[in-house]
Amino acid sequence: MRRAKLNMAHDNHVQLDDNIQIGSEATDFGKKAFGIGGVALVLALVLGGGPFGREFLIAYLVAFMYSLAIGLGLLWFVTIQHLTNAKWSVVVRRVAEIIAANMSVLAVLSLFLIVPALMGNSTLYAWVDPAKVAADRVLKHKAGYLNIPFFAIRCVVYFGFWWLLSRHFLKRSVEQDTSGKAEINTKLQTLAAPSMIAFALTLTFATIDFVMSLDPGFFSTIFGVYYFGGAVACAYSFLALSLMWLQGKGRLLNSVNREHYHDLGKMMFAFGVVFWSYIAFSQFMLIWYGDVPEETHWFHDRFQGDWKIVSGALLACHFVIPFFGLLSRYVKRNRKTLAFWAFWILVIEYVDLYWLVMPTFGEDVIPSVLSLLVHLLAWVGVGGLFIGAAASRTKGLNLIPTKDPRLAASLAFENP
Amino acid sequence: MSAPKHVEPVGEAPLHGLLAEYDSPETLKKAAEKIRNAGFKNWDTFTPFPVHGIDQAMGIRPTILPWLILGGGMTGCALALGFQWWANGVDYPFLISGKPYWSVPANIPITFELTVLFSALTAVFGMLGLNKLPQPAHPLDLSERFSRSTDDHFYLLVQASDPVFDEKETGTLLETSGAIGVEAIPEDVKSESHVPRGLQYALLIITAAATIPFALSAYARESKMTHTRFDIVPDMDFQQKFKAQRENTFFADKRADRPQIEGTIAYGELNEDDHFYRGKVNGVFARTFPAQVPIDEQTIARGQQRFGIYCTPCHGQAGEGDGMVNQRASALAEGTWVPPSNLNDDRLRQMGVGEIFNTITNGVRNMPAYGPQIPTADRWAIILYVRAIQRSHKAAVADLSAEERASLK
Amino acid sequence: MATTAPDYDKWYDPPKGDNELARITDTVIRVTEVSRPPVGWYIAFAIAVTMLGILGMSIGWLFWTGIGVWGNMHPVVWAWDITNFVFWVGIGHAGTLISAILFLLRQSWRTAINRAAEAMTIFAVMCALIFPGIHIGRPWLPYWMLPIPNQMNMWPQFRSPLDWDVFAVSTYFTVSLLFWYVGLIPDLASIRDRSTTTVRRLVYGLFAMGWRGSSRQWHRYERAYLILAALSTPLVLSVHSVVSFDFATSQLPGWHTTIFPPYFVAGAIFSGFAMVVTLLVPARQFFGLKNIIEIHHLEAMNKVIVATSLMVGYSYGMEFFIAWYSGSPYEGFAFVNRAFGPYYWAYWTMISCNVIFPQLFWFKKIRTSLLGMMIICILVNVGMWFERFVIIVTSLHRDFVPSAWGYYIPTKWDFLTLTGSFGLFFTLFLLFCRYLPMVAVAEVKGQHSNSHAGH
Repeated sequence: MRRAKLNMAHDNHVQLDDNIQIGSEATDFGKKAFGIGGVALVLALVLGGGPFGREFLIAYLVAFMYSLAIGLGLLWFVTIQHLTNAKWSVVVRRVAEIIAANMSVLAVLSLFLIVPALMGNSTLYAWVDPAKVAADRVLKHKAGYLNIPFFAIRCVVYFGFWWLLSRHFLKRSVEQDTSGKAEINTKLQTLAAPSMIAFALTLTFATIDFVMSLDPGFFSTIFGVYYFGGAVACAYSFLALSLMWLQGKGRLLNSVNREHYHDLGKMMFAFGVVFWSYIAFSQFMLIWYGDVPEETHWFHDRFQGDWKIVSGALLACHFVIPFFGLLSRYVKRNRKTLAFWAFWILVIEYVDLYWLVMPTFGEDVIPSVLSLLVHLLAWVGVGGLFIGAAASRTKGLNLIPTKDPRLAASLAFENP
Repeated sequence: MSAPKHVEPVGEAPLHGLLAEYDSPETLKKAAEKIRNAGFKNWDTFTPFPVHGIDQAMGIRPTILPWLILGGGMTGCALALGFQWWANGVDYPFLISGKPYWSVPANIPITFELTVLFSALTAVFGMLGLNKLPQPAHPLDLSERFSRSTDDHFYLLVQASDPVFDEKETGTLLETSGAIGVEAIPEDVKSESHVPRGLQYALLIITAAATIPFALSAYARESKMTHTRFDIVPDMDFQQKFKAQRENTFFADKRADRPQIEGTIAYGELNEDDHFYRGKVNGVFARTFPAQVPIDEQTIARGQQRFGIYCTPCHGQAGEGDGMVNQRASALAEGTWVPPSNLNDDRLRQMGVGEIFNTITNGVRNMPAYGPQIPTADRWAIILYVRAIQRSHKAAVADLSAEERASLK
Repeated sequence: MATTAPDYDKWYDPPKGDNELARITDTVIRVTEVSRPPVGWYIAFAIAVTMLGILGMSIGWLFWTGIGVWGNMHPVVWAWDITNFVFWVGIGHAGTLISAILFLLRQSWRTAINRAAEAMTIFAVMCALIFPGIHIGRPWLPYWMLPIPNQMNMWPQFRSPLDWDVFAVSTYFTVSLLFWYVGLIPDLASIRDRSTTTVRRLVYGLFAMGWRGSSRQWHRYERAYLILAALSTPLVLSVHSVVSFDFATSQLPGWHTTIFPPYFVAGAIFSGFAMVVTLLVPARQFFGLKNIIEIHHLEAMNKVIVATSLMVGYSYGMEFFIAWYSGSPYEGFAFVNRAFGPYYWAYWTMISCNVIFPQLFWFKKIRTSLLGMMIICILVNVGMWFERFVIIVTSLHRDFVPSAWGYYIPTKWDFLTLTGSFGLFFTLFLLFCRYLPMVAVAEVKGQHSNSHAGH
């Protein structure tokens, strides 16, 4: 249990009287998470028919996009805090940086999806199969973009960029802990601007490649934004829960207080409820109103049979209920209620991704117990590995950027 | 504090309260805490901008305004959704581009806007109401010192009506609270406490006048117009053009619609073959099929398909005149219905194919002309099929093939 | 003979007051207290009123003769009328954004600019509301869009985006007006308390509602203000989204695309901020407000401009990509036609003014240069007008069937009506500058006090 104390007068930085390192508790937890994740993933592989099995690939896609959402959402969070020179969030930013830095793990995990595609397995993506492409007018047209070599290059660009950016943010931030240089903030702010552009483009095209191209006939210009809204919601919820877990272990008790949770709650409300619903409604209503068959079939798939219930559940549980739930400021300032809604958002986002992927394959909502099992195992598998990596990465790192010049403002932050 | 309260009148007016002036928000806050701790209830502070932390210092309880706004918003939401459902779905339903009568996705934007509108109106008027604004008169207006309340100084007023108020003790309390000055504020006995009579009448008249448009609207809704409407833009209502079925004095027959000039034929519609296009040979209805119509199974099949499309609603599947239109019209039993012919009647058996063609093309009695819908070749195919039906109704065993005979056994 | 200096000269002297709060009050309110504004104001006002007269004349002639005086003709049935409508509504959004969204994001730099921005919103929305009103052909019937009981027993077609517009824009106007007015109350009270004449005291006092700055009233006021800000944020997003629905709910290539709502909102913020900068650079100069509206405020707005420029650029890119990706020949053609068809000049004006020139704001020198930002912001407004023009006209003039193609040419009445709308806007804005406090005095004082006090 190490306490960090910095002398204020000496180097003009704030006096921090708090436990800001997690040590072996996190790494132990990380090992456990890794273990559970690994076992779950192996089970999913076995039950799902192996790495090229249909059950496995579908379940893995949903699970992977879910963890990717958390990672990308947190990467976006870190970028925007730097871009806007935000003061309130300094206290929570390091934890976000640490989790986001696991883009490397996600890059490796993406191979389960990319390699089968590169090898021509068209279970998920019809466009990897030249025979299917030749037989379909639509796929033939899109072959200029949806082809294996270009896809491979794009994946390298996506994961490469995300990996390098997240690593850079963490590295520089940690460097500031020792050097205390304020110019690091300015440099990161300058970097954040073009990074945001690249982020928007990579996230959009990754979403198109991995999710929208499942149904090659479908197209929607807002699709990337839709995934982005959900990703940011997941990120804020996950961040809130991570901070609560750390505080449960006795860390950051004096630094992260209800003002910060209030702000995280506001963001969960703004992105997870308001923004997501706005984008989802825009997409749905415009396609419904125009009634153009090229687009409506995608929604038709999601209103067939029992999928109607899931769609209704998304409306109720992603918008109506959390809208009233997260409206009150007291809910956002209370750790227990905020944790409840954070879990709620994380679960409903999984349902959202499930709803995005599954209907394309013409399946029932839950085709079989085995299918459900594979889905849950994949979710736990990928998630466990991701969380395990994040937990392990905390080793030796301060959980707060101790020499960030804005730290004092962050500690003293109060919501009006 | 059980000593009798001592309240001196100021001049001729009773004392309203004591006003203390401060030059910084911090001193005001400390003074506010002092006053709150001393147990006062009827007091207030006045600042040129909302001072951070003054609510806690004064012990101001959170207002119910947010709840009122929520209520207002929900009212707007329910009103919008309900009205759209009722207006477009119940009272005067109409289909628009195939959308359902109650199209929830299409109703969301207006619902959202009205929710926001009602919430905002509640916020503003609720705030003004709870703040008891407009408040045209207040005793503080008489104080010279107080005019800086909207500029750069801060004030604290303790009202004499407070149970704990005592002029001397409260005065001392204020003077030692960091104030740069303390002043006694008299009640405002000179200003009127009512809204002036003239203004009252004016408001009454305006309110009454505001109901006139609604009354007119309701009257218009219930009454029938006995005169033609007046025309604001004459050249829109009376356009310089000829409409169908109207008069045009330029022509001798005074018709605006001009008939086709005798002998005009459109390109590709010379249709010289009387037999094929009009079912007539030498001016008499033909009794044979024209040469262009192959008498084979394909033509009959085509005729069957076309018969099914155009003819069965009235004449029925077997041509007996029992189609759905006949069934429904007969069920209405209005006595005005002329039933469609039974195609298997002797009269129609003996009718020449040319005459049947003419009937299909130009219609007869209640039957409309089908010439415009059915291409000429198809009309002949239908006639061939009709002949097949007629034959089948009076077929002899000798007409059947060997297998068909066997299947009858 | 010695002439007394005109009292607007004192705008350039240091403000009166022995403390910062008093000086803030004096700096802003003395502008409304001069007996005569400077000659420049009169000249600008004369020009604006003339343009307003042109508007009146154009509308009068339009009503008398009909829509035929404009260039609208099949297939381009919506042209400058709707372009102008969307243009003005878009400009209005910056005001609400600065007021409401920056308030929610606790950006204290908004206090110097939000009053002028909110006023601009209201005037811009008024200009916007003119166009749907006059373009309907029978302008004595717009009340049909409202659910008023009538003898035909008919109700409006609530399922139509055009009716959604009616509710959205009028709600937006009402809420913006209320929000602006609520913000004005304490400042009107300041003017009232400084009044030297009875008329002035009564008029400003009437609208100040008797505000005296009671903390109990401030408490409710602050809650109402916060909630109005929280309501205005989704409202502004929804209004321009509803405007975008006018197009996106159709099936026209180039119109029917799901990204329109956020794309239009980003574009609105973009053009609105550019208009705010265009107005404030001269205003702060001529009204002596340079110490309150500082360069760093303008710089912050320019950063928002470059950010929204990139969002708009992203949307252009996405539309273009998906138009190809969709495989629909109509979609693909629509976008190729935009860039290389008869209206290519409009398209490239749009691209250069919206995406290329604003990138100059990456450079601090240009971001903080008054001339630089004036030029770029005016170009942005030009570009955004062209964006709406490109969207509307290029999609209409060549849609599905070549036999229905056409080319639209505006008439002089189109030009005069657009010019006239600027006249309305500037007339109102100049009146605002003359008679109302251009800066939110109470908010600036509050921010100054709270930031200096610390905790």
